[in-house]
Amino acid sequence: MTNAASEFLRSAAAKSGDLRHRQILRTSVDTYNTAVARGKTRFVDWEAARRRAQAIKWEAVNHLDNYLLQFEARVKERDGHVFWAENGEQARKYILDLATARGVRTIVKSKSMVAEEIHLTTALEQLGIRVWETDLGEFIVQLRNEPPYHIVTPAMHLTRSDIAQLFKEKLGGVNTDDPEKLVAAARAALRRAFFSAEMGISGVNFLVADAGMIAITTNEGNGRLGSSLPKIHVALTGIEKVVPRLEDLAVLWPMLATAGTGQAVTCYNTLVGGPRGKDEVDGPEEFHVVLLDNGRSELLADVEQRDVLHCIRCGACLNVCPVYRSVGGHAYGTTYQGPIGSVLTPHLRGLHDFQHLSYASSLCGACTGVCPVRIDLHHHLLHNRRNAVKAGERAWGERFGFRAFRWTMLHPTWFAALGWAGRLALRTVNALGLGGTKLDPLRPWTKERAAPAIPARSFRSLWKERCGTN
Amino acid sequence: MEQTENSGRERILHRIRAALSGGPAHPVRESDAEIFAQIPDPLERFQSECATNHTECILTANATATAKVVGEILGPISGEIFLQDASELRQAATSFPTGLNLRWSSEGSPVEETQATVTLAEALIALTGSIFVSSACGGRSATVAAPLHIVVAHLAQLVPDLQTLFAAMGRDTALLKNSMLCLTTGSSRTADIEKILVLGAHGPKRLVVVLQRDQP
Repeated sequence: MTNAASEFLRSAAAKSGDLRHRQILRTSVDTYNTAVARGKTRFVDWEAARRRAQAIKWEAVNHLDNYLLQFEARVKERDGHVFWAENGEQARKYILDLATARGVRTIVKSKSMVAEEIHLTTALEQLGIRVWETDLGEFIVQLRNEPPYHIVTPAMHLTRSDIAQLFKEKLGGVNTDDPEKLVAAARAALRRAFFSAEMGISGVNFLVADAGMIAITTNEGNGRLGSSLPKIHVALTGIEKVVPRLEDLAVLWPMLATAGTGQAVTCYNTLVGGPRGKDEVDGPEEFHVVLLDNGRSELLADVEQRDVLHCIRCGACLNVCPVYRSVGGHAYGTTYQGPIGSVLTPHLRGLHDFQHLSYASSLCGACTGVCPVRIDLHHHLLHNRRNAVKAGERAWGERFGFRAFRWTMLHPTWFAALGWAGRLALRTVNALGLGGTKLDPLRPWTKERAAPAIPARSFRSLWKERCGTN
Repeated sequence: MEQTENSGRERILHRIRAALSGGPAHPVRESDAEIFAQIPDPLERFQSECATNHTECILTANATATAKVVGEILGPISGEIFLQDASELRQAATSFPTGLNLRWSSEGSPVEETQATVTLAEALIALTGSIFVSSACGGRSATVAAPLHIVVAHLAQLVPDLQTLFAAMGRDTALLKNSMLCLTTGSSRTADIEKILVLGAHGPKRLVVVLQRDQP
């Protein structure tokens, strides 16, 4: 087992046994579910909307080169810069070189999962640059030196009293657990940064090919301030974020909001096409778009799983996932958590180290059912499992176990005999008072759960009695 | 800045083309069904959406009434008020209360201490109770920088939905020449703490749309 896999098992076990943690997640997800159910009623036909969104992303991803080139040409027409980075190192170097060349001391950053993916903030801080996370949730986890817990809700695992304690320690003079006052404290701390930073870094929700504009969605307005006030704006994105037409946003903006938070539409859906125009009052002097590949073109080559690149990072699949809701976001040890993370990470960071995540699923299909762009997530988890077996990544014991299972299933008498022996063994263990101890073969299951009662008779014998056949 | 050095560009494009050379993924079946319901009364819808998303929508009959309403809201503000330098707002400002600290977009951009901004909008969207603004509305930061944002708009700017607006914009209109466009729906907010809604995260805590029935 790889280190990543054993670490996952360790923290997943710890978190799923942590009742306080589970209560916090449950409260958050319940609130989300209520909002989403209400949000969906605004659509006459949510399924039709999903099909439309899927078709938009299908068109974009299956003609990715054309749309990226169209986007690039438009941005250059407005004197913007487009840098194509093959991997995280190239993307980091471009941004670090730019910051150094311009003498940047302070950066205001709005939410970007791609920045997390390439560990951009740490690299900038090593240059001595002060990087302010400006999304409130990101600001909170930055103060805690933690990665985001969730794609959309980075501080989902914290209560207001956790945050109150944190602010008391880190932002002098703040002593309250009133959410409104906590938000005001963060606003005050970040406002100076917005007006003094030389560079703003943002993520991108959509690259609009025909308009040559990036679309940034935020509720707080931090994306707008960070792309307006500093003299340099850098937008960092994966190459798959492209959509063909501006009109596509009339569908995707509401869907992203509804799937992400249950809102009809997010507060600020901003389009930026370049630096400050000639006759404009303000805005950055420079506009840079960094397009990151980092394994995405390899995923594109996998026709079976190409639709993973349709993802709009709404986080809905995390919220509905029974595994995510038990183990939480940090246990995954990845930038992208939950079902989408389990599907995507083996492609971005290698099957060898991350194939185990595809087994962290009950295959219930809730993720596929909720995905606004209809990614076939739970089947992709199966595809990853198949690929891992083919690549010889699974333990020999598993292969042996499945062979034994197959043989037993094909030999009913042996199946019955082993079932009988198993029940006898469990009864003996319980009779000797060893139930729940290390000698109990069911211990991995029962140490966090109530043990099921051992049935007096087998399914086969009940069937035979009631139906008269074997 | 010097020309961007793009050694990875050709390699990425090459990889994308190689990846797609096997043909497109299995095509998807699109639906022609309506996604959003028709909006019979855009004004009524706009007002009810504003109520839901915490935008204050005030309907006025004409420019005189608009100026009076805006003046009354600005009256108690002692700090700087930043306004888009548009003839319509210059005209309105002549009847504002005296003593206000006004600064116009022709004189620079909003500052950290700016307490309120007053701008026009490019369009209003009934479906979601949104305003559509651009960098022409007093600049890129005027519509987000201060705790209070007042938008002066006209009934003729109201469109049923975003689809209608984008279709009308076409590809080469003046609107698309702006370096920034923004669909704004309500004031700045966050629910990052226990999913509890708090208004006024980084942008305006208060968004007021003064919707004038007649043309400027």
